[in-house]
Amino acid sequence: QESATGRLQGLSISSGLPIQIESDRLEVVDGESKAVFVGNVNVTQGPTMLKAGKMTVYYASGSTGSPATGSANIDRLEVEGKVYIKSDTQVATGDRGTFDMTSEVLTLSGSEVVLSEGKNVLVGCKLTVNMKSGRAQVDGCKSETNKSGRVMMSIQPGSQNR
Amino acid sequence: MLARSTDTPEAAPPHVPGRSGTDRLAMFRTAARHSRNVRALKIALPALALVMAALFLFQSYRSSPGSVEIVAETSAVSEGKLVMANPKLEGFTEDNRPYSVSALRAVQDIANEAIVELQGIAATLPLNDEMSATIDAARGVFDRNMNTLDVNSEINITTSDGSQAKLGSALIDIAGGRMTTDKPVEIRFKNGSINSDALSVEQNGKLVVFDKRVRVNIVPPKAETASQ
Repeated sequence: QESATGRLQGLSISSGLPIQIESDRLEVVDGESKAVFVGNVNVTQGPTMLKAGKMTVYYASGSTGSPATGSANIDRLEVEGKVYIKSDTQVATGDRGTFDMTSEVLTLSGSEVVLSEGKNVLVGCKLTVNMKSGRAQVDGCKSETNKSGRVMMSIQPGSQNR
Repeated sequence: MLARSTDTPEAAPPHVPGRSGTDRLAMFRTAARHSRNVRALKIALPALALVMAALFLFQSYRSSPGSVEIVAETSAVSEGKLVMANPKLEGFTEDNRPYSVSALRAVQDIANEAIVELQGIAATLPLNDEMSATIDAARGVFDRNMNTLDVNSEINITTSDGSQAKLGSALIDIAGGRMTTDKPVEIRFKNGSINSDALSVEQNGKLVVFDKRVRVNIVPPKAETASQ
């Protein structure tokens, strides 16, 4: 299982900025302290934007307030269905993703996870980003066709000395 | 949130044969105090606010209303309609918190007493130990047989912690603990807001579904301090 790491400054969620979430539908299940956004989910915060088919927000159980009043603290987010994450310099796509608020680690997985910055592209099956440090790691896909689990990386010449 | 007791309010109150207005009123009053209809009405009006309050704060509200007192300043019968001015329904929930539901006018058609049209509805509801909600709506039609309240005008809900909700309308199935509207909804709370073009509340607020163009805005508390 080969992985490629790199600095990923762009893709970070600055917690201070307001967040806008849009979707076709929002279901708030009081007993299970979670809120499920369904259909054309679109989340923007500052320069960072996330699109997905569905996003489930899990609240820390026993937290005061409630999902809808936004005062309950969020435990983690799960997104699925053609996930697309863009920050000002990087774009990442995959099938499913999770974002753990406490550890601030974002993972994106799927049959083909692509992380690109300009023309530099990393393709693998799992992207793990530590939002605090900005450190990103793409793991290759272990599969029949790609036994070695290698990560496909293409770096455009000349992009390093930008 | 409604009385969890197993006995559901029975279908229709007994039909009262034609009587002159005044003694009908007396009958209504006495009926109101003692008969099971009162229990239905008692559950009905506060439940309107409970269901809405549940919508608003998404907290289920488990205690059920205790005693009730229907008071009306003046009542008159005109063109076959019983008109009550400033009917007020006050009572205490089982954990002894006051609630009141009043209207400027309640109009009941003598021929069909199951339908009560309320104008200028205002309610104050305890939500939990510290919080209460006030609800006002221009008019609504309360159907005692169906146990529904159809509020076909804008509804404003405000809670003591300053959160607010504005609904274009609301059809409330009181016994079923359901409420639906296909008109725009806007909810503002301390650090954010939710808008959508339709809403349904199920199981007394256990499940709340915003539908059609859901827009949620959350301003994290840190942001407020940052911007000062």
